[in-house]
Amino acid sequence: MRKITMRTALMEALNEEMERDETTVLFGEDVGKFGGINAVTKGLYEKFGGTRVFDTPIAEPTIVAAAVGMAITGNARPIPELQFGDFVGIAFDEVFNKMGKWRFMHGGQMEMPVTLRLPIGIAGGAGPEHSQSPQALFMHGPGLQIVIPSTPYDAKGLLKTAIRDNNAVLFFEHKVLYDMKGEVPEDEYLIPFGKADIKKEGDDVTIIATALQVHTALDAAEELSAKGVEVEVIDPRTLAPLDMETILQSVKKTGRVLIVHEEPKTGGSGAEIAAQIQEQALFDLSAPIKRLGSPDVPIAQSIYLEPFYTPSKEQIVQAVDELMEY
Amino acid sequence: MAKTYEKDIKLNDYSKEVLTDFYKTMAKIRKFDENLIRLMQEGKVSGFYHSGIGSEGLSAGSIRQNLRDEDYIFYNHRGCNQKIAKGVPLSKIYGDFLGTIEGTTRGLGAGIVHSADPARGVLGQAGTIGSQLGISVGTAYTSKLTGTDQVTVVYFGDGAASREMLHGSLNWAGLYKLPVIYICENNEYAISCHVSETHAVKENIADWAEGYGIPNCVVDGNDVLLMHEVVKEAVERAKRGEGPTFIEAQTFRHRGHFEGDPYDYVDVEVLQGWKDKKDPIKNFAAKLMLEKIVSEEDLESINAEIDSEIAEAIEKAESAPLPDPKRIYEGLFA
Ligand SMILES: Cc1ncc(C[n+]2csc(CCOP(=O)(O)OP(=O)(O)O)c2C)c(N)n1
Ligand SMILES: [Mg+2]
Repeated sequence: MRKITMRTALMEALNEEMERDETTVLFGEDVGKFGGINAVTKGLYEKFGGTRVFDTPIAEPTIVAAAVGMAITGNARPIPELQFGDFVGIAFDEVFNKMGKWRFMHGGQMEMPVTLRLPIGIAGGAGPEHSQSPQALFMHGPGLQIVIPSTPYDAKGLLKTAIRDNNAVLFFEHKVLYDMKGEVPEDEYLIPFGKADIKKEGDDVTIIATALQVHTALDAAEELSAKGVEVEVIDPRTLAPLDMETILQSVKKTGRVLIVHEEPKTGGSGAEIAAQIQEQALFDLSAPIKRLGSPDVPIAQSIYLEPFYTPSKEQIVQAVDELMEY
Repeated sequence: MAKTYEKDIKLNDYSKEVLTDFYKTMAKIRKFDENLIRLMQEGKVSGFYHSGIGSEGLSAGSIRQNLRDEDYIFYNHRGCNQKIAKGVPLSKIYGDFLGTIEGTTRGLGAGIVHSADPARGVLGQAGTIGSQLGISVGTAYTSKLTGTDQVTVVYFGDGAASREMLHGSLNWAGLYKLPVIYICENNEYAISCHVSETHAVKENIADWAEGYGIPNCVVDGNDVLLMHEVVKEAVERAKRGEGPTFIEAQTFRHRGHFEGDPYDYVDVEVLQGWKDKKDPIKNFAAKLMLEKIVSEEDLESINAEIDSEIAEAIEKAESAPLPDPKRIYEGLFA
């Protein structure tokens, strides 16, 4: 099968969905002629024109609020982009309270078909306000769906689903993954929300990982396999809705769980996943649930300090070794 | 509508010392920038760098001889122009880029933004451009609260001016008559977007200030003396308790938005025109020599002096150690 980068996969999804539905409208800073600072929207302005693909002023709250306004008319399907997922903080009210709650608080009379694209993650000296992974903040934001792909295949299928969905989607893209290649079929496919993917099967330990950490976990899995420990790597792909069924089935089999993400450990998505596992499957566990995340301090700008924020293969191997002692 | 600030300035009204200081500050800013780009090319500095080459006059003119250590500035994300003009030691700024403990962040590292030097009134900067517009009304209000004559000068790009925060900030500043001076560094572009594509204005961004009753003007930001004069008037007005001023200073980026930007969205001839005809350093040097205030040799020796100052600063910053990884757990709370 052909291999393409996640950037190309996302670009294909945008192209196909904008072709398919002419109510789609894409906007954000430098997304037009320039093609986006991560080059994900290249060619769309030329193809779909300046009304459906446009550069906005640097005004993140207005970008998100305008998307909400477009969506609730029922006549537009907006796909806004913020240049960095960290900037969701600038538009927090618009995302958390407007995108997430507008439909419900007006009795369900309107729909919210917004797909807000948010590049995230530590990617080389970008500092505390351009490196974060803020997705967990929205796990207690009702009305928001959270998508976080780890492969080009997942990115394409999930983005297409997101755009067609009539509810709000926060679509988190890890910047280091843009250049990563993976198999993507030529034929059209969609990936449903709330369906985790088992990236590697194993009987000994369940590792639940998201975004770039799926790859770190798979690297660790290889090393562990050489030592005779078979881990199962699960990528939830969407944090809301969260596929607990797949996770619990795996836990039943392994009895040992490690959750890995680049988000801060405290209050990260792993905290919620761990809580749900112990609520629903405490007696399937033969060891305490372990979590790896970034330290609970702002991300330093220095490239020499950055590595201490990203969970490493070595840390995963060690955590699995510890779990295997039970 | 915003008027263009003009003034008939005679070099003789300034001492040779002051004029030389303006030149020296601009030359230092440019050489700092060129050397930083070299360090990036050598792989010693990573991350984004937004070169400030081409707009040195704006910072040197507005800050030198106008602001004291106790006056606050909020610098923008283009180059280190304002920090250098305000006197932050070069070794400390280089140290932030290199991630050594010589940096103002003692090893946490900082790019253009996040260096701070509170003793010199440099209270830092956000990674989210334009956030300084809100913070600056806080420092300015505090001057009023405590009865000092400290002023706050806030720098931001044309692009950052489109943040919603600008309007909240102008409203406060106008309402409470705050001692804040807005300097919009209008280099016509915000990454790839020309200001005409992203701003609804009568004619200039400064026109927005008019609606809040804030005195405003447009000025040639590449004329260091004009910049100096316009800011001097604004500082005096602020100190008299008459409130804010909005200055839109026109300039242009000689390099792309960041190092590595293909910069192909700008007309090559327009760019060349700015480099040839409106270079703030070249033009000022020519003026000083024409009026025989300095000789070519004088300028050469100033430049040589700056070169060795920069070499020493880099040496100091580079030879300082990297922090212990535990550094990240220090200083979150006071
Ligand atoms: C709130 C926010 N939005 C977007 C960005 C990304 N960004 C960094 S610089 C920049 C353009 C800024 O343009 P301008 O203010 O004109 O300053 P210039 O770079 O031209 O000096 C953008 C969009 C950011 N850092 N912060
Ligand atoms: Mg600009």
